[in-house]
Amino acid sequence: MEFGSAEVDEKNELVSVLVFQIGGAAYSIGVEHTEGVVDCPRITPVPNPPDGVSGIASVRGRMTVVMNLGSNGSTEHPRQRLILIKGDAQLGLLADRVEGVRALERNKVRPVAHGKDSLTRQRARFDWPARSYFKGNGARVPILDIERLSET
Amino acid sequence: MIDDKALLSDYLSESEELLESLLADLDSLASTSADSPDTNVVNRAFRTVHSLKGLSGMMGLVEVQMLAHDFEDILDDLRLGQVSLNERTSAALQEAGAGLAALVGGAARGSASDEDFERLHQLLTSIGLQSRERVKREDSALELLNLSDRERDLVTDYEEHRVNENVRAGRSFYGIGVTFEIGKLDTQYRALCAALEAAGELITTLPAKTTEPSLVAFKLVFATALKETDVKRITGPFGGRVTRLERSTWRKAGAALRAAGRMVPGRNANSREASGRLDALLPPGFAQESLQPLSPSVRVEMAQIDELSGLAHELSIGVEKLTAMAEEFLGAANLGARERFDLRFSARRMKREFLELEERLVELRMVSLAQTFTRAARLAGRLARELGKSVSVEVSGRETQLDKAIVDRIADSIYHILRNAVDHGLEPPEERRIAGKKARGKIKLEAALEGTRAVISITDDGRGIDQAEVRRRAIEAGLIAQDEVLTEEETLRMILRPGFSTAGQVSAVSGRGVGLDAVERTIYELGGELRISSEKGSSTRFDLAVPTTLVMMSAFIVRASGWRYAANVAQIIELLYLSPEDILGRDGKRSISWRGKTIPVIELGFALGLGGARLLHTASHHNGDERKEPATDTLKVPVLITSAADKHVAVAVEQFDEQREIIVKSLGSIGRRLKGVVGAVDLEGGDVALVLDMPSLLLLRSTRL
Repeated sequence: MEFGSAEVDEKNELVSVLVFQIGGAAYSIGVEHTEGVVDCPRITPVPNPPDGVSGIASVRGRMTVVMNLGSNGSTEHPRQRLILIKGDAQLGLLADRVEGVRALERNKVRPVAHGKDSLTRQRARFDWPARSYFKGNGARVPILDIERLSET
Repeated sequence: MIDDKALLSDYLSESEELLESLLADLDSLASTSADSPDTNVVNRAFRTVHSLKGLSGMMGLVEVQMLAHDFEDILDDLRLGQVSLNERTSAALQEAGAGLAALVGGAARGSASDEDFERLHQLLTSIGLQSRERVKREDSALELLNLSDRERDLVTDYEEHRVNENVRAGRSFYGIGVTFEIGKLDTQYRALCAALEAAGELITTLPAKTTEPSLVAFKLVFATALKETDVKRITGPFGGRVTRLERSTWRKAGAALRAAGRMVPGRNANSREASGRLDALLPPGFAQESLQPLSPSVRVEMAQIDELSGLAHELSIGVEKLTAMAEEFLGAANLGARERFDLRFSARRMKREFLELEERLVELRMVSLAQTFTRAARLAGRLARELGKSVSVEVSGRETQLDKAIVDRIADSIYHILRNAVDHGLEPPEERRIAGKKARGKIKLEAALEGTRAVISITDDGRGIDQAEVRRRAIEAGLIAQDEVLTEEETLRMILRPGFSTAGQVSAVSGRGVGLDAVERTIYELGGELRISSEKGSSTRFDLAVPTTLVMMSAFIVRASGWRYAANVAQIIELLYLSPEDILGRDGKRSISWRGKTIPVIELGFALGLGGARLLHTASHHNGDERKEPATDTLKVPVLITSAADKHVAVAVEQFDEQREIIVKSLGSIGRRLKGVVGAVDLEGGDVALVLDMPSLLLLRSTRL
């Protein structure tokens, strides 16, 4: 898989991503990395959290490390959703709104040019890793690199 | 012979424990008075041999199973009083026990000879023969008890024998009627049994009628030397209704029974002949062979492993500090290249080896699912036979390793779902044929690792779950509104709600479906998840996703900065309430006097990075107040004394909550990197409490330690 972060339907050359909004900006992740979307339960803060970690929430019996890609790590939105990410990191991404799954033609997915890894930097306090993006409503929507995010 | 090495090791380890218990009990029987063998010991030996029989059968060791069966028969005769012990029989039983112990290892490894089996078989047969020659039907005293015919039918041979024994001992019989709420049944029944057994012998528990569906009623038959008033006193707290059970003809008949006495060994001339045959058969080699241990493993209590893990963890914090100091030293000291290299190398190696030590300790707790799966498969087959169904159970992933505590906790859940699958999931053969399926149902029992979790799946090819029916019942039970839209998954999860059932008929095997909610709760408490999927008419699948490792801990729950935290009790030295005048010094340098020395006091909220020293500030401010108001309870600061890097520290919290046993849930690969936190625990109301590691938390925050 060339872009590493989104599912490619080889026959139709489609890439499926889950698109969501945080602080007015759109982000996406490959659906194959997601496990589900739930209403965010109460988040318990952790001491000296790594960048972007809001705290811990218990989801379906599993402790989930809640990451907020928003600017200040707070949970200001009244009804935030938590996108559950597959894998050992037990990660959940906070989103103000989940727009849904979008199937992209493969040629619409563009790699982030070398040195511009920090596509999301202007919109967020932290440097969220994204290796590719697509254009949606005139704006660049980064496709987050979950593997690198989990290494944060 | 058992080919699978892991299975062989499990079998040898478990059978060794059983055989040790059996041999100890046979020794005990041989050393006590032949006239009155301890019934508890005989019963325990019987159960042990029964377990060994089952275990060997499961492993396909038919010869051992058959020998254990013969052994079981003899012990059954003994507990039913149909044979009494004499010195020779006791010795023969001891020899037979030793012979069995010697054969088990050989049979499992495939090295036992037919002659060995035959010799033990002959010995057991001759002990059995001796017992059969003794058999004389006891006159039963059961007829003399005031029980209905139905109740009398429910009394087993063994219980009947115990009635006779108690009559001979001159004890009185009481019927105790009790009614319990279903929810409290387990604890109340156990407490009553314990109280009765301390005062006499509980012969049997018979079902009784009740009109209230939330209640269950029993009649307990109890024999004791105590008077009726004493029995009433014991059973009073349980609401027991006590009646005498002896009929009017009792005294005379009882006396006659007592006069008839026990069957005395050796009374029968034939039995002497049988004893002679026994002597000839007593083999010279059995006992010596049993001196060899069956398995090379050592059984260790889980608590000991936990203790070791705790110690290793404490040490690892020390190692962490030491290596950090080594790095600092490297930067500051004027060292040669060689010394530099040696110090750095040693420090890193120590750290790496410590990590390995901790990992090995975790591995020590791991066991495979082999035994649980083997038992589960056997259980499913047996249930199917009882229900007139036929099933093949396909097992895979039995080598999957999990923490023993998790395997122990989920075994019942696996059995429960399997019972449901056989009872409710699989259709009767005729119905399957009509549906175009093979008459023989199929259940797949699988395990696989999925990240840090193990997923145990139970899939049947039965009738599936009828979602429309589930929905109808959920509406009927008021669980959802008439027009509520549910996804497929949400609909299926309705069956996990307490008391929900789609079983048309109540069955003796799976009941009313009560318990799936308990299954889900168990899995949830372990930090796992229960998933259901089903296709009407063709299959139902339950996935139990559970963590592979587990840490249990006795924790003290405290509050700080509005949140609850769990502190490891093993890391708490003392709990105190500080008065304002106990707190010395100012912000950042507060201390208290404790056990004759001055130790720092730090607010937990501050250590967690959640805010300044509000509690201590308020308290000491109050202390300095010129009005000198008397200190009130509200100003007392709860403090726990702990230690970090060999120094004592007082940690102030907002409130002490309670002490409880918790299951520490992992925070995953990112969470593991959080300093001062080892995991989290689910609290009531969906809250989460972080489980703190006090020493590393304090070292992280405080520069004064």
